[in-house]
Amino acid sequence: MRMLQVVRKDLLRFFRDRRALVVSLVLPLIITFIMGLSFGGGVFGKKGISAIRIVGVTDGIPQMLRDPLTEGLEETGFFSVTWADSNTADEMVRGGEAAAAIVLPDDLVERFFQFEPIRIRVWKDPGSPLKAGIVEQVIERSLSPIQAGEAVYAGLWPEDIQPQRNQEWTSTLESYFQGDVQSVWKQWKQADEDPFWDIFQREFTRIMDRQAALSDAMEGPGVALEVENKAMTDAEGPQDDVNLFNYFLPTFSVFFLMFGVAAAARDFHREREMGTLNRQLLSPLNDRDFVLGKWMAAAIQGSIQLLVLFLAGAVLFRVNLGSDPWSLPLAVILTCTSAAGFFLLITLVCRTEKVADTLSTITVLAAAMLGGNMMPVDQLPDWVRSVGQYFFNYWANVSFSRVMVSDENLLATPQPLLMLGGSTVLFLVASLVAYRIRRAKGGVL
Amino acid sequence: MIQIENLVKKFGSIRAVDGISFSVQKGELFGLLGPNGAGKTTTINVLSTLLPPDGGTASIGGYDVAGDPSAVRRLIGIVPQEIALYQDLPARDNLNFWGRLYGMSGKALRMRVEELLEMADLRQQAGQKVETYSGGMKRRLNLVVGLIHAPEVLYLDEPTVGIDAQARGRILELIKELSGSGLTVIYTTHYLEEAEHLCDRIGVIDRGSMVALGDKEELIDQVGDQDHIRFHLPTARIDEFTRAFSGRQDCVVSGVVRGKMELLATDGARLLPDLQSWMTAQGEQLEQLEVERPNLETLYLNLTGRGLRE
Repeated sequence: MRMLQVVRKDLLRFFRDRRALVVSLVLPLIITFIMGLSFGGGVFGKKGISAIRIVGVTDGIPQMLRDPLTEGLEETGFFSVTWADSNTADEMVRGGEAAAAIVLPDDLVERFFQFEPIRIRVWKDPGSPLKAGIVEQVIERSLSPIQAGEAVYAGLWPEDIQPQRNQEWTSTLESYFQGDVQSVWKQWKQADEDPFWDIFQREFTRIMDRQAALSDAMEGPGVALEVENKAMTDAEGPQDDVNLFNYFLPTFSVFFLMFGVAAAARDFHREREMGTLNRQLLSPLNDRDFVLGKWMAAAIQGSIQLLVLFLAGAVLFRVNLGSDPWSLPLAVILTCTSAAGFFLLITLVCRTEKVADTLSTITVLAAAMLGGNMMPVDQLPDWVRSVGQYFFNYWANVSFSRVMVSDENLLATPQPLLMLGGSTVLFLVASLVAYRIRRAKGGVL
Repeated sequence: MIQIENLVKKFGSIRAVDGISFSVQKGELFGLLGPNGAGKTTTINVLSTLLPPDGGTASIGGYDVAGDPSAVRRLIGIVPQEIALYQDLPARDNLNFWGRLYGMSGKALRMRVEELLEMADLRQQAGQKVETYSGGMKRRLNLVVGLIHAPEVLYLDEPTVGIDAQARGRILELIKELSGSGLTVIYTTHYLEEAEHLCDRIGVIDRGSMVALGDKEELIDQVGDQDHIRFHLPTARIDEFTRAFSGRQDCVVSGVVRGKMELLATDGARLLPDLQSWMTAQGEQLEQLEVERPNLETLYLNLTGRGLRE
């Protein structure tokens, strides 16, 4: 097939072009190495990059609340959580054993039911500003919906905010939450004779009803529900050996991929300027073979780039490549075919290489911001996520995240792969149409 | 082999090719001579099916360029004005790629590649990247790439632009050899001496129109066989000079051409001493003297009022 001759020639040129090799492979490899080391890991598995270690500080939170909190934090893939008293936590943070400590007030439950301000502090390890910064960001984002909910609650039901202060009442209330679920349940069952039980039941029911109504009104505000849901799906329990780089490697690899594939697609303009395009137009090579050849060459270059980066990540920093043998290769191939189609289309609608270069750079940056290459997809605001879904890189990031972070089988939940495959077909057809229109207008000369 | 009738190609309101007609016989080396922007490359682009014509007809080997472009492409090879090569690949890889695009493979391709490398005198450098070649080497490779599939017709679009005299001589030699082997060639140039030296017939093109067509002798006959003598003459002496030289048998006074007095002489060399004597007798110096033997440049000047390199 003549298309394969175009592919073969473009790949030959790619491997002989030192500049292209440096930009596509060497530079991303160097940055992979720097990023890998900056996340605190060693190389060759001596000290792999692990999840950010944080310590939860409290002496007063019952175990039944600690567990979902731990699971919720660890489910993000970023954190490994331990609990300690404040002195031990202070030592751990100061000694660099933990990147940060989240300090919850001892009387958290009591304050919650009395609507008193709950102050959560984050102690950061000054030696790990990047990791500690991530902890701070995540906690801040998680708390904001709760804070918003509290503000609304206070506005709607101010009478709940200043309940009667009764030392006896609050200490009894605290006793209802001591121990594990079983012991709490036992206490609750035996509470019929307790003089405070009626008051508690009434207060608790009213507050929970109002909370539930508020939650409905706010369409399910974030963190509390989110944590619980994630805890339920993470039935196997926390993964202590989760590698933070599992998430970051694919996101920045896709970012580099977009630049690499865009440059490869722009070869159309370089060929036009060199005159080699005219010569191909005079050969028996037809339009379809030419466009497919250019697309496939760019896709293969991109796949090589991703595979090199992923293998380097796996060898040097123990990045998880997934347990299913098909998921990662499929995600790589479909990401690259979609990227190649997208940037070929941009190239073909632009008049010159300079215009194509400018437009593809702007598009890469916008797609990276909206599609989750600058910030984890989970952490993106809803509107950004809605827009991001129209970019192929969003689905690429979702695919890699599922394979490399959650170790999922993409064939079982193939939506991201289908989106990447569908966009590939769409971009290819559009590219072919754009090329034919351009050729009919003499725009390839 | 090539028949062109009233061919028109427009870009907006500009008629880049404005109704030209000519034919080229099989094995003929036909020159399209004209300055930059005359319409030579546009004509080649239409004949090679890269641009559709806006009027008239053109057929190559009996196939219409607009109606059956695929058949035309199989017959033609093109050597574009620019170095249309992959500079980051060696000569051999370039030839292999173009050969494979034409469906060649295996031993036939290898043999053809070696043959063309030999023809271009590039065997020693066949493994080096084209970007390391001299201008002449690149031009030679550019030329033989157009021959990879052994076309019946070869378009050469200014193939010697930007190279030194020695390299140019080598290219022209190569083209003569090709023409001698029976290949039909259309050669565009704005170098007069190349057209004179190489071509069996020449079409002179200006502003998209064919202003003269024929072999070298036919074209020069259109100018006449007289030498053109031009010199500076003060305006006050024009009438006096015209009276003095009008009666002579060996020359004709043309009048003032491009700011100079012009004489057409059957033998310019014999007339010059008389001219010198007359000027001295009038107390004038013979200044800015030009003596021009009739050639294609003269023809072009006569037809268009401007030089080929203007």
